[in-house]
Amino acid sequence: MKKITLAIFIALFSFAALAQKAKKPTIMIVPSDVWCNQNGFMQEFNNQGTIVRIPDYKKAVQSDPTLLQVIAQINGMMGERGFPLKNLESALKTLEKQAADDNMRMSSKTGGSVSSSPTDELKKVAKADIWMQITYNVNKKGPKSSIQFTLQGLDAYTDKQVATATGNGEPSSGSTPELMQEAVLAHLDNFNSTLMSYFDDMFINGREVVVRVKVWDDWGEDLETEDYGDDELGISIEDWMSDLTVNGVFNLTDATENMMLFEQVRIPLFYVNSKGRERAYDVRRLGKDLRDKLKEIGLEAKAENEGLGQLTLWIGHK
Amino acid sequence: MKTKIKSILVAVLLIASFSSSAQMFSKKKSKKDTHNFRYEIECIGEGKQGTYAIKVFSYSKKPKVAIEAAKRNAVHGIIFKGISGGRCVNKPALARSANLEQEKADFFKDFFANGGKYSKFVVASTDGAIEAGDVTKVSKKEFKVGVNVSVNVSLLRKDLEAAGIIKGLGSRF
Repeated sequence: MKKITLAIFIALFSFAALAQKAKKPTIMIVPSDVWCNQNGFMQEFNNQGTIVRIPDYKKAVQSDPTLLQVIAQINGMMGERGFPLKNLESALKTLEKQAADDNMRMSSKTGGSVSSSPTDELKKVAKADIWMQITYNVNKKGPKSSIQFTLQGLDAYTDKQVATATGNGEPSSGSTPELMQEAVLAHLDNFNSTLMSYFDDMFINGREVVVRVKVWDDWGEDLETEDYGDDELGISIEDWMSDLTVNGVFNLTDATENMMLFEQVRIPLFYVNSKGRERAYDVRRLGKDLRDKLKEIGLEAKAENEGLGQLTLWIGHK
Repeated sequence: MKTKIKSILVAVLLIASFSSSAQMFSKKKSKKDTHNFRYEIECIGEGKQGTYAIKVFSYSKKPKVAIEAAKRNAVHGIIFKGISGGRCVNKPALARSANLEQEKADFFKDFFANGGKYSKFVVASTDGAIEAGDVTKVSKKEFKVGVNVSVNVSLLRKDLEAAGIIKGLGSRF
């Protein structure tokens, strides 16, 4: 009897230990473009003749102590709700440290340095799956101040607003972070409730991702080729997308002979691997599945993912 | 003389049993009033971090019973109804399913029982000091009583999450 009980206990324990959880999206609070512009934290660069203005987060966190306090307050509140956030200042510091390390790194045996492509360099920016974008203004009236704020949760890949909170705080003689805490606290339950609805939807209908299919220009063929499989290559890819998505849900937004853009692609959160174990599914795994399908018809492809929500596939070779 | 003593004893016994059954009936009635979850909630101001400051209007034939019911109703309202109206931003209910109360009936039966866990989350109330105008006689036999209550929602949420009754923001990842 004791042996049976022990066996049941071990089986239950190992089942619990093997139970896989879905990949957790990262969330980071950043000041909005409007706030950065209003407070002089923008940087400009020349992109092939066009002047582009982007927010300078590093300058903002290094120059505005109030912003840091505001971010810390909201980070704390979200942590208290069981969802600790990625911290902007720390993420920027890690990037710099990593870049310095890569520059100095040299193999002790061959003297070789760390390999990095221009794409790798472009990807060295602070990343999150969901941006919590904050905009706030402090209005002073005599000894008292009040705060107006907007907090937007934005999906980094689909550009969809997944949660929002906007409001005014009561006039008070407190500091800006205190005013912010009071104002945000009043709205945070609603913000988290909409964020929770977004997660609920994800668990029912799959994670929403974006998939881009492109061809290498030296391949010599395009997506209209009928040399592979029974149909045009682009049509075959559409069929595979239907097989690999939850309830076949996706939207082919754009398609030419050279590219396909799939939006609102709903991928499952789990899959069963060859050993029969449930594992978390993500866009990287979707890329592998699509490459396997291409391989079956004699085509090679390169797949690259960005975070949990974006996949690009280049067909022709790796 | 003996007959007189006997009659007095019988009378005393009768009065005692009548009083005890009246008490039982009153208790039953009070339990009924406090467990029927007939109430209205309005927000009276943003509480400190993790708390809601609310006014709960409960109904009962006895104002005292309504005051007792206020704490239970406050927690019930925060879990299942949410708060709209009053002087603050609308607060969503902690329960995300409309059927949660039925789905987890066993848990909530114990939770809202007399002396149940619900009382742990009500951190302050104006038990004895009801504001003027907060007791209204709504019918011949019924009062509507408003009581100010402060509920530690943060602790309540964590407790329900730990018991697996509601899901936390990051619990599924």
